[in-house]
Amino acid sequence: MAKHIVKRILITIPVLLGIVLLIFFMLNVVPGDPVTVMMKEHLKEDVVENLRKSMHLDDPFFLRYLRYVLDMLRGDLGMSWKLNRPVTKVIAQAFPYTCRLAVAAALFSWIMGIPVGVLSAVKKNSLIDHLSMGVSLFGVSMPVFWVALILQNTFKNVLPVSGVSGWRSYILPTVVLGWSSAGRIARLTRSNLLEVLRNDYIRTARSKGLPPFTVITRHALKNALIPVITVMAIQISSLLSGAVITESVFAIPGVGSLAVSAINNRDMPLLQGTVIFTAVLIIAGNLVADVLYSIIDPRIRVE
Amino acid sequence: MENILSIKDLVVSFASDGRKDRAVAVNGLSLDIPRGGTVGLVGESGCGKSVTSLSVMGLLAENGRVDAGEARFAGQDLLKLPDRELRKLRGNRISMIFQEPMTSLNPVLTVGRQLTEAIRQHSDMDKAAAKARAIELLEHVGIPEAATRFGNYPHQLSGGMRQRVMIGMAMAMTPDLLIADEPTTALDVSIEAQILRLMKDLQRRHGTSILMITHNLGVVAELCDEVYVMYAGEVVERADVFTLFRDCAHPYTRGLMASLPRMTPKGQRLYNIRGTVPNLRAMPAGCRFAPRCELASERCHAEKPGLIDLGGGHLCRCFLRGEAANHE
Repeated sequence: MAKHIVKRILITIPVLLGIVLLIFFMLNVVPGDPVTVMMKEHLKEDVVENLRKSMHLDDPFFLRYLRYVLDMLRGDLGMSWKLNRPVTKVIAQAFPYTCRLAVAAALFSWIMGIPVGVLSAVKKNSLIDHLSMGVSLFGVSMPVFWVALILQNTFKNVLPVSGVSGWRSYILPTVVLGWSSAGRIARLTRSNLLEVLRNDYIRTARSKGLPPFTVITRHALKNALIPVITVMAIQISSLLSGAVITESVFAIPGVGSLAVSAINNRDMPLLQGTVIFTAVLIIAGNLVADVLYSIIDPRIRVE
Repeated sequence: MENILSIKDLVVSFASDGRKDRAVAVNGLSLDIPRGGTVGLVGESGCGKSVTSLSVMGLLAENGRVDAGEARFAGQDLLKLPDRELRKLRGNRISMIFQEPMTSLNPVLTVGRQLTEAIRQHSDMDKAAAKARAIELLEHVGIPEAATRFGNYPHQLSGGMRQRVMIGMAMAMTPDLLIADEPTTALDVSIEAQILRLMKDLQRRHGTSILMITHNLGVVAELCDEVYVMYAGEVVERADVFTLFRDCAHPYTRGLMASLPRMTPKGQRLYNIRGTVPNLRAMPAGCRFAPRCELASERCHAEKPGLIDLGGGHLCRCFLRGEAANHE
């Protein structure tokens, strides 16, 4: 088990280096010179030239990549050009907002999604089933920004709709962000549970005289949730890396908003930092999913 | 002799998507299992033998329904019992073993957990006592190192071992009736013999009655006292095992017997019953076996034969009765 986990962690190292290379390369080929953006084209040529030199913008690509990776390994993601502060500090400041929102949205989606999925599967083809699957489908298919605007407009007199001022500010973003996840989890739970309920071992469990509730929770749900948990682990890591649209619409100063402003300002170090931060979280999420998977499913554990 | 289970005129039908008419899988089946006896229920796949056992246990699939009949077990009609009451009997006084040991155990729960939950459901044993009992059961069904196996997951066990676990689970509360639905079909022949011996042994020890559902006449000969032969949802012949093997009367049973592979000169083809089982929604008007029967007359195609007593409890659903036996 421990060996398995260590192996999975070691595999992430080349993946991470590859991701950094890719990001670095892409941000180098996009048009728009940061210096001109920063200086609004008013500056004299020699000043621009000096600035470029001090920012190492004219060094060869691989030299800059190498320098960046070495700095990264020391926990230094460079300075934000726009804010003139270390990128790690900027992200660390934004992360708590994103984290609160992500955890709330994830909990919302699990607490809503799993019971609704179970109920739909157990009461298959009933009114409850059709209703909850309709609401789930709506949540999955409606664009986030649209749902956000509708909710803002509906609840503008009851709840804060912009910025962060106390926990109530998180209610609407949580619903917006959690709804689509909840819908996805509900539908996945339902279809997996229906699949599992057809298995021979469910019939065996019933033949032992176990009550239906025990059959569902002990025998069916544990099997049905294996794929759902994978989705949940990946979902929370992507939520943690910042919900770009939701954070922007509700003006929450999280990692998502940070990425948007970095793009607008051609703030390369900050943008690289947020993207790498996202990548690390996604990799970690996959790792956690993998480990959880092997804890729940004994068949994977032995191999 | 007193019967532990007595099924009378059982009718079971299934709905399928987009169709109004229901497919009748079991059509007026009657069957008695004497206390302490072993009764075989034999027939091709799809003849309704598993459906019969599942309806008695109240385990029919969602689209299945018992339309008529009764199943008396210890003075109660199982088919009319509310689920709550039936659950008290299931796994306790009636238990069941299934065909596929590979898929019949839950892959994410340990063998021990699956055993103890059956024990604790029907007794007030605490965890430790249930564990001790489960290990004892595993030893009874011949699993070596039972204490270690207790903590194993099903995938760590072989097919034969898993079927032993299933049997241990079914015998946990020493039931009055054990329904075994093709318990050895998925196993190697050598394992099959071991499992049958184990079942016989447990029966002798606890006096459990057994309903053995199988398509394997060898298993019938090995284990059963009495045999019901089913064809297309109906009993076509009933006899004690000696009468059946010596002197079976129904052309279908004769066909089954003739289909058994035996030492024949090289190159000679194995016997098979021509044709296939009729569609449940398009049953022949007369005898259901007539389209495949080599001896069928015009009357067989037009008129439906009833069960005729040939004497000594030997029943046969055929106009030709014993005459068929003398034809060949």
